[in-house]
Amino acid sequence: MVAPRPAPVDAYPTDTSDTQAETEETLLKHIPDPNSSTNPPPTLQKNVHLQFLVRNLLQGFPSRYISQDASQPWLLFWTIQSFSILQAGLDPNNKQRAIDTIMEWQHPDGGFGGGPGQAPHLLPTYAAISALAIVGRPGPGGGWDQIDREKLYKFFLSLKQPDGSFLVMDHGEVDVRGIYCLLVTASLLDLLTPELVEGTPAFIASCQTYEGGFASASQPYFSASPDSEREGASTLLSSPRPPLGEAHGGYTFCALASWVMLLPFLPPSNAPTINTKTLLRWLTNMQGTEIELGGFKGRTNKLVDGCYSWWVGGAFALLESIGVGGPRHGHEPEAEHAREPHHGDDEGWDDVDDVLFNRKALQEYILYAGQHPAGGLRDKPPKAADAYHTLYCLCGLSSAQHHLVISPARRQAIYDVWKSEPSSSEGDIRKKVFAESLSWVEEEGAAKFVGGTNNRVNATHPIFNLTITHTEGIMSHFYKQTVPPRVVSKKA
Amino acid sequence: MSASSDSIELYADDPEWADIEPVRQYENPNPLAPIFYTEEYRDATDYFRGVVKKGDMSPRVLDLTEKIIRLNPAHYSAWQYRYKVLLALKSPLDLELRLMDELAVKFLKTYQVWHHRRLLISHPQLSSSKSSSFYLTAELRFIAKCLVVDSKNYHTWSYRQWLLSNFFSGGERGKEEEEVWKKEMEWIEQMIEEDVRNNSVWHHRFFVVFQSGIRVGDEDREVVRRREIDFAKDKISLAPSNPSAWNYLRGVLDNNNLPYSDLSIFVRPYAQARSPDAEADEVIDLENPSPSKGAQLPCVPAIEFLADVYESGKSRDDIEKAAQLWKSLANEYDTIRKKYWEYRIKEALEVLPA
Repeated sequence: MVAPRPAPVDAYPTDTSDTQAETEETLLKHIPDPNSSTNPPPTLQKNVHLQFLVRNLLQGFPSRYISQDASQPWLLFWTIQSFSILQAGLDPNNKQRAIDTIMEWQHPDGGFGGGPGQAPHLLPTYAAISALAIVGRPGPGGGWDQIDREKLYKFFLSLKQPDGSFLVMDHGEVDVRGIYCLLVTASLLDLLTPELVEGTPAFIASCQTYEGGFASASQPYFSASPDSEREGASTLLSSPRPPLGEAHGGYTFCALASWVMLLPFLPPSNAPTINTKTLLRWLTNMQGTEIELGGFKGRTNKLVDGCYSWWVGGAFALLESIGVGGPRHGHEPEAEHAREPHHGDDEGWDDVDDVLFNRKALQEYILYAGQHPAGGLRDKPPKAADAYHTLYCLCGLSSAQHHLVISPARRQAIYDVWKSEPSSSEGDIRKKVFAESLSWVEEEGAAKFVGGTNNRVNATHPIFNLTITHTEGIMSHFYKQTVPPRVVSKKA
Repeated sequence: MSASSDSIELYADDPEWADIEPVRQYENPNPLAPIFYTEEYRDATDYFRGVVKKGDMSPRVLDLTEKIIRLNPAHYSAWQYRYKVLLALKSPLDLELRLMDELAVKFLKTYQVWHHRRLLISHPQLSSSKSSSFYLTAELRFIAKCLVVDSKNYHTWSYRQWLLSNFFSGGERGKEEEEVWKKEMEWIEQMIEEDVRNNSVWHHRFFVVFQSGIRVGDEDREVVRRREIDFAKDKISLAPSNPSAWNYLRGVLDNNNLPYSDLSIFVRPYAQARSPDAEADEVIDLENPSPSKGAQLPCVPAIEFLADVYESGKSRDDIEKAAQLWKSLANEYDTIRKKYWEYRIKEALEVLPA
C-alpha cells in the first residue's frame, strides 16, 4: 500500500488547491493508522443507520427539510430504498401508509408532484413510481393500478421538445435528470414507445463534453432553412448543439443510463454515438486518490462527495453493459467467471477483478468517511447525514460490493416465456425493453466485502436503482408477463 | 397555538385573503415521513393550494408566491404559478428581473432562481424590446458578479452559456455580438488567472472558442487551434498537475482531429523526474514552455499523455513503451487507477499481431 500523497500543488496554490488540501487534511484523520496492528475491520453500522431511517420515516423530518418540501417523493424513495439496500422492509401497515401517502401526490392531470397539490413534474414522478415499485402491489388500494398511465403518457408527450429532449414540467427546464426520470418511469410502467423517445438518443449524445462526461443539457441550433437569406449561419458551427455546463457526475449517470435504456430505439442507420473512450477516462479520473480514501468527485478539480459513489461508481456497470471493460462481450458471465466468494482480506483482492474502478477504496471511503456516528451517511466529514446521501452512499457501497452484468442466458430465458399480445404492433420493442431491463444478474463469486460479509448490502439494479426483485415485480405486472425463476448458476 | 403566531403575520388572519379557502396538505391524517413545518410555512402553502384550486390569478398571488419562495426557493410549483400570474397580469418583467437579482444571490444554489430568469429574459416583452441589449448585457454582468461569490456554480455557468448561445450566436446583433464575445474572452483569461484549476472556466472557454460559432477575427481556424494549444501549454507549465488544463488540451486536439504526437516535445519534460542539471542547460523554447520551478515532476497527466502518443504509434515497440508508462502509473504514480491502467495495457496489446 502506497502512503497517501497529497495532490500536487506545484508550488502554485489557488482557491481550488487550498480547498482540496483542507479536505485531504480532514479525510486523513479518517484513515486508520497503518502502523497500528489492532485496527478493527471497518464496520457498516447497519443498526444505527436503520434507526436514522426509521426516525425520519415514522417521526418525520425536522424543519430544516422544509427546503425539500417540493421533494417529498424523493424523501420517501431515498428512505425506503435505503431500507431495501440494508435488507430491511416495511411492515404491512406502514407499507399501506406509504402507498396512501404516495397516491396523494398524483396530479389529476397526470404525473406526480412534489407533494399534495403540487404541479406534476418528471423528478417527483420518478421518485413516486420507484417508491411504489418497492411498497406497492396490484389491486384496489395497492397503488399500482391507481396510477393513471394514460394521463401520465400524455403528460410525458406534452413535455417533448423538437430536439428530442423533455421539459421537467410545464414552463420548466430541460435537463438529462428529467429524461432519466421519464425513461425509468416509462420503462417500469410499459409506456416506452418509439414515438415518445424519437430524437432523444441524439439529444443525450449531444450532452457529452470534451472531457468525456455529460452536461446537464445542450443548446439546439436548428439549421437555417434552404430559402433563408442568412443561409449557412448555423452551419458554420463545428458542433451544432453545445453542452450547457461542464461534465458532471450526476448528469453523466443520468445520460449514460438513459443511453442504455434507449439502445433498443436507436435507428438502424445514422444512429447517434457517444464516445465511450473519453467517458471511461473521465469516470476513472473522478476517483479520488488514497489520501481522499478513494471516494468519487462529481467534476474535474472538485472535492470527493459520498453521493458520487453511486452517480459515478454506479456508472461503470452501465459502461460494461455496452462493451467497455468487464467480462469479454458475448461470453456467459456466470460460467466464465464463476469464482469463490471473496471475504475482504487484502490478499489477492486485485487479481480476481475486472472492474475498472477501485472497488476496495470506494468501500473504504464510505465505511471510514461516509458514515455519520449518529446514524445516516453523508457527503464527507464533518458534514451532517441526510436522506439523500444516506441512499447514494449505500447504493454506491452496493455497486462496489456486487458486480452486476447483463446475462445473455437470462435474456434468452425471458424471451422464451414472453407472451405476445396479439393486438399490439409494438410487441417486439416492448419485449426488448422488458428483457433488457431484466437480464441483469449478479456475477457469481465476484462480490467483495471490505470489512467482511457482515457489511454486505443488497445488490441494486444498475439502471433503476431498485432491487432486482422489486424491478421484476413491478415490470411483470405492467407488461403482463411472468418472469422465469432465477437459477443460481454453478461453476461450469 | 404557538408563541410565534403573535409575531408572524398569517394569511389566515388577513381579511384580504378571507375569500380563499386554505387547503390542508393531507386529507389523510397519518402520512408517512412528514416534514415538521413552521407555522408560517404551513399557513402560506395552505393558502397557495387554495389559490391553485380556485385558479386565482390576482396580484396578491405574487406576494404569496414570493413569500413561499423566500421560505423554500425550491418550491417549483410556486415559481411556475408565479410565472403564469405574471403573464396573466401582463406585469412588467423588468421589475421581476430586478427582484430576481436579490433572490438569485440569496439562493445561488437553487435551480429555480436561474430558470425563472431564463423565462423572463426570453419573454418577448424583454427579448424583443428596444432595450433588449440593455437587459442582456446586464444579465452577463450580473452572472459575472455571482460567479465571484461562487465561481463553480453549475447553474450559473450553464445559464451564461445558454444566454450567449441563444442571443449572441445568430449574427442578428452585429457589432454588438462581436463586442460581447471579445469581452467574454478577456473575462475568461481573467477568471483563469484567478484560479487556473477552476474547471468551469475551462469548459466555458471551450464552449466559447469551439462550440458557439466562429467569431470575427477567428475565421482562420488554424490560428485559433494554435492559439488554444499554446494557451493550454502555458497554463500547464504553471501547475503541471492540473487536470483541467490537460483535459482542455486533449479536447482541442480531439475536437480538431490533431495527433497527440504533435505535442511530444512539449510533454516529455513533464513526464520525467527533473534532471539535476536542468537549470544549467535550460534553453528557452517559447513554443514549449518548461515546467515551472516549483513543479512536482513527473506528473500523472503528462505520463498518461505520453503513453497515448506512443500508443498511437502502433508498432510493437511503441506499444511496449506505452505499456511501460502505464505500468509506472499503475504501480507508482497513480495507484488508485491501477485497474484502468492495466486495462489500457491489455487493450493496446490485444491489437498487436501475434
